[in-house]
Amino acid sequence: MSATTSPKTFAPQLHYAALALALAVGLPWAWSLTGALLAAGSATAWSGLATDVQTPPALWMAVWTGMAATALAWVGAAWLLAAHFGSRRWTSLLQRLPAMLAVPHAAFAIGAVVLLAPSGVLVRWGAAALAPLAGPLGLVLDTPPAWRSTQDPWGLGLIAVLVLKEVVFLLWAGAAHLQRPDVAHRLGLELRLAQTLGYNAADAWWRVAWPQLQPRMLAPLVAVLAYSIGVVDVALVIGPTTPAPLAVLAWQWLQDADPAINAQGAAAAWLLAAVLAVVVALGAGAQRLLTALWSRPRWSRGPRPGPVANQHAAVHQTKIRQLGAYTARAGWHGAYFAVLAALAWASVASLWPFPDLWPQAWSLDAWDQVARSSGTLGTTVWLGLASASAAVLWCVAWFECAPTRWQQRAWGLVYLPLALPAVLWTLGLHRLALDWGIDASAWGLWLAHSLCALPYVALVLHGPYSGFDPRLRTLAATLSCGPWPFVWRVKWPLLRGALAAAFAVGFAVSVAQYLPTLYVGAGRYSTVGTEALALSGGGQRSLMAAYAALLWLLPAAVFGLATWVARPRQWATPRHNIDGLAAQGH
Amino acid sequence: MDHSATPFLGLQLSLQRLQTPASTLLSDLHLSVPAGCVHTIMGSSGSGKSSLLAAICGTLEPGMRCEATVHVNGRRLDTLPTHQRAVGLLLQDDLLFAHLSVLENLLFAVRPGPMAQRRQQALEALADVELAAYAQANPATLSGGQRARVALARALLARPVAILLDEPFSKLDTALRQRMREQVFGAIAQRRIAAILVTHDPADIADPARLTVLGRQSDHA
Repeated sequence: MSATTSPKTFAPQLHYAALALALAVGLPWAWSLTGALLAAGSATAWSGLATDVQTPPALWMAVWTGMAATALAWVGAAWLLAAHFGSRRWTSLLQRLPAMLAVPHAAFAIGAVVLLAPSGVLVRWGAAALAPLAGPLGLVLDTPPAWRSTQDPWGLGLIAVLVLKEVVFLLWAGAAHLQRPDVAHRLGLELRLAQTLGYNAADAWWRVAWPQLQPRMLAPLVAVLAYSIGVVDVALVIGPTTPAPLAVLAWQWLQDADPAINAQGAAAAWLLAAVLAVVVALGAGAQRLLTALWSRPRWSRGPRPGPVANQHAAVHQTKIRQLGAYTARAGWHGAYFAVLAALAWASVASLWPFPDLWPQAWSLDAWDQVARSSGTLGTTVWLGLASASAAVLWCVAWFECAPTRWQQRAWGLVYLPLALPAVLWTLGLHRLALDWGIDASAWGLWLAHSLCALPYVALVLHGPYSGFDPRLRTLAATLSCGPWPFVWRVKWPLLRGALAAAFAVGFAVSVAQYLPTLYVGAGRYSTVGTEALALSGGGQRSLMAAYAALLWLLPAAVFGLATWVARPRQWATPRHNIDGLAAQGH
Repeated sequence: MDHSATPFLGLQLSLQRLQTPASTLLSDLHLSVPAGCVHTIMGSSGSGKSSLLAAICGTLEPGMRCEATVHVNGRRLDTLPTHQRAVGLLLQDDLLFAHLSVLENLLFAVRPGPMAQRRQQALEALADVELAAYAQANPATLSGGQRARVALARALLARPVAILLDEPFSKLDTALRQRMREQVFGAIAQRRIAAILVTHDPADIADPARLTVLGRQSDHA
């Protein structure tokens, strides 16, 4: 008797489902990109861009701020990881990441403006603190100083905000890998082994863990660069204006009434993408060169000469390093706290003439006004919930149905939106909405937000899904548990933390969307984000602060909910265990 | 396929070929394991013993090709999906579900029915492995030996007609290993389950009369 074993499986149907899923996302993406390409397809658009006097300085500003922010965020994240992995503070660092990740860039930027502006909290309190020194010299501030601390011509404020936000993203991306049970276990062993070979903790990290982690953080790094070079909303709030970064110019051109100027904006968006590609290529080359010439020889150079011979110096060094890490973390957490506190404060301060440290009057008028704008609130919430749900459902279906090979191939495509300037995607999504007749409609807005949230949600779920122990499926099957009962009785309950986090991230991404909301929604839909941005240039400080605070509170609430869903199970009192141990030992 | 009126009680494997995309792992392997007996398959890593178990319980990787028939108590299994085969599995890692308590892990394996009855079965199984006090415990807090016993109880509760043992003792220390062997082999004999044990360690061999050594392609059964 001979036969080819071919047990019935759901494989063919799953293939069709995966194909349908791929089309559901691939088609709109391809349509958007083509639309964006056609929009910039005229020669006059490019000649207009080339001859516009604003183009070169704007491009330079975009490249400078984007690269500086990315480089600083990379160094900061690498250093914080090195200083914290495996230490006592690692868990507490991880616990705070989601809350910091949830702060939308725009809300953070507005908070930074409230804090840093010439009439801001920092200047008032700083001047008061320095008054005993400055008073005798006649340097008393009774009007806000004339310096430009928020929209400075060098883009330093923009860089600072981007660094503080992107450090969190990079740390989170690194931690997502380091938190996988298999990776954490193996890396812990390897680091301990390196220490038995005579490397101190820091050397062990840089030579054993970092070379393994670094390649996995390159894709997030590209996303950070793309975000920083192409950012619009943060740059509108805190970025330089003469010149503004190219993405801001492109955005203004796209909104112009003149179609020729629109085409020039589309060309600028593509120019940004091209510049981004060049920077990434140069960066990749530099990274390889650096690894080959500098890092690789160091990895195998052997431990530094004896900690025993120079024990005092070694202890001293460790202390300095710990102090540095502590300062960095305190400064970084402090900046978040100060920014959010400034938002809260400014939202309830009504009358507050300049040199006063405290407002003369407090008021909840701004919050009252926010509460009455139920349309804006409702749009923000339903859009966030609907697009986060869509993105999570798509990703779960994709990870469950698609064969591994498809998943590997499609990974670059899923990731692509993160590696291109947002203004380019917004342009494409707008064309898509026009072509499909869903512009200025709730459907168009939902589609745009879902597509924007999708890559981030996929990023959250990718690690937990690929780290899921495949033997559990086999084992459950030998206990007569079929494929579908398995996913809802075992797999999804075990992954509930990741699923909840993915939903929260999707919600936060949707809430933070500014460009597609305005452009695809044709200005008919206002969200908390668009309101906060619209108010950011004007004089209604408390109302702007209230909207910005809400822009942060909404995703923070969903992240809180996700943490609650993912909380560890409460097990029965350990009394049983003690009884059991006493009764029978092992 | 089954010519006799009373089918062979136990597991019958007739394997012509087991291939990876690159090479043939096994060919012409025929086994008959009577119910209640443990047949040991020895082999070094890479000899195909784990793939053989995967073929029997129907969890081969997509790229693998297998020409084989598997019958247990006269019922043909190799055309069924894993969850309908009633072939149990015991691995060196206990793989208790981390989100379920010890009792819930056991209930997972109990056939559908009235809850009180299922619970009773699970509690009895837990008492059989001397862990009655741990019903509500988090499996992560149990010792290695306790976890192995819970895994055994869980595998048996599913009432398997055959059971595959993939180096199930290799992570236990010597004293514990002996006790666990007796418990596992005792349960298999008592419940008349046909079992296949794969291992690379000669000390694990259950019954020298029922032994196949892979690599040499010998067949004693």
